[in-house]
Amino acid sequence: MKKKTILEKGSKVFFLLCSLFSIGAVLFICYFIFANAIPAIQQIGLWEFLSGSSWQPNNTPQEFGIFNMIVGSIYVTAGAILIGVPIGLLGAVYLAKFCPKRIYPVLKQAVSLLAGIPSIIYGFFGMMVIVPFILENFEGNGNSVLAASIVLGIMILPTIISISETSLRAVPKSYEEGALALGATREESAFKVILPAAKSGVVTSIVLGIGRAIGETMAVVMVAGNSNILPSSIFKSVRTLTANIVLEMSYASGLHYDALIATGAVLFVFILLLNMALGLLTSKKRA
Amino acid sequence: MKKLLSLATLFILAVSILAGCSGGDSTTGSGAAGGSATAGSFDSTKEITVISREASSGTRGAFDELMGLIEKSGESEVNKLFSEAVIASSTDEVPAKVEVDKYAIGYTSIGAVNDSVKALKVDGVAATEENVKNGTYKVSRPFIIASKGEASEIAADFIKYITSTQGQEVVASEGYVTIDDAKEYTAPSAALSGKLTLSGSTSTEKVIEKLREEYVKLNPGVNIEVTYNGSGAGIKDAQDGKSELALSSRELKEEEKAALTPTVFANDGIAVIVNKDNTMDELTTEQIKKIFTGEARTWDKV
Repeated sequence: MKKKTILEKGSKVFFLLCSLFSIGAVLFICYFIFANAIPAIQQIGLWEFLSGSSWQPNNTPQEFGIFNMIVGSIYVTAGAILIGVPIGLLGAVYLAKFCPKRIYPVLKQAVSLLAGIPSIIYGFFGMMVIVPFILENFEGNGNSVLAASIVLGIMILPTIISISETSLRAVPKSYEEGALALGATREESAFKVILPAAKSGVVTSIVLGIGRAIGETMAVVMVAGNSNILPSSIFKSVRTLTANIVLEMSYASGLHYDALIATGAVLFVFILLLNMALGLLTSKKRA
Repeated sequence: MKKLLSLATLFILAVSILAGCSGGDSTTGSGAAGGSATAGSFDSTKEITVISREASSGTRGAFDELMGLIEKSGESEVNKLFSEAVIASSTDEVPAKVEVDKYAIGYTSIGAVNDSVKALKVDGVAATEENVKNGTYKVSRPFIIASKGEASEIAADFIKYITSTQGQEVVASEGYVTIDDAKEYTAPSAALSGKLTLSGSTSTEKVIEKLREEYVKLNPGVNIEVTYNGSGAGIKDAQDGKSELALSSRELKEEEKAALTPTVFANDGIAVIVNKDNTMDELTTEQIKKIFTGEARTWDKV
């Protein structure tokens, strides 16, 4: 008896430690990023840092402005959402409601494989296929907002499809049966009844997709062109926040290094805002 | 049933991968064919795709310096690279991007040039290792190892090794240009032992790693630690005494020379590369500067 309570208490503490570890990791990362970023931002000036459009670490005096990159990250992510969300959502509806049982495992397998492909492979695919395609058929040199958006749009598909599908399947069968009994077609029941009922899961999948897109690095670096300009069209080159960090981190020292960490801090704030938005959206649903 | 089907899926995917492999030749083939079919139609009024490297790359530092892309006036230094230039993140990414874009121009280490792109003559001189060595091809940079003041016994011996005939053989085998009058190296009769710290240029990593390996074979008592953190950081480390020797892939600046004693141990040419369909065969330094500053935006304006 006593042995059992000790074991129970012990495992309780153990599980507590496990959950504390992940919280500790988040806090530690937070501390590390902001402890390095804040002095750098103070030195550069918050306004100059956020609104400056010139990033010239090798000039004297050095210039660190990330405005173009903030806009670039937003453009590329928005493009990925425009491409990935409709395809992913319709795919999820098909998988959950219309897919014949025989094809289902095939499609499911393919989607999970898509999730398992390393991002550098996506980047390579983008560089050798999508970039030349845009170059041949549209204007510009192919390294562009569009190329990055397409690659990211494909990369967020598995996230959107699998989470949306799960939430569509979680809608009670009675909703669909009710709709059908009232004379709705299967399409009507899927899009007008089940999809709205699964809204919170769908929104979650989109927000997680945005998170993935905004944080993606390697694949973007290889196809976006990385020029520090404010892209005037989707065929122009663009540099994202993540690209800026990964391009220069290995060489940087001094203020340049700290400015790159500050770039990371801005990205971190973006992700925090996204998560907060997600929390608000889903909690409203529950209440 | 389900299991069978997912196995079947995997099988189909595997087959498609194989098909992709065998199709690989044909796709690159068709890419090249697509290129050659339109080879005659290299349209020189089209915009040039300028491909450069990230700001802190050693190759870019040397290239910008040699092409006069850095404008100095008094205290200030401004980089004039065309703002819409595509930034590639590694030495090998530049030829990969030039290969697929007919109107692209980029630059990379001579060692990284392959058959899929065309290296231009610069000021009439072909980008070859011989021309770098005899000094006629100007777009090159030295690999430098530098010590603060008098080098320690081990440091001096290591420098002696990498500039020796044996060391230079390694340099040549890695595809870099050797230096002249190298002498035979013999390990000191009293075996050396201790630690040697180096830091600096990432461009020198390939050759330094190989040199270190060979040196330690001859002097088993020596332990060499290298940090590849970029030329600038390495030079600073050596000045501050954080490391004994600095590795640099560019010439030392005047103020750096005051503190450090540099030794050149290899040279590396930087090739200016364009797509194979490009009708240009050579450019002058002045033309290259015009392209990379964005002054000339199309090939016919060069």
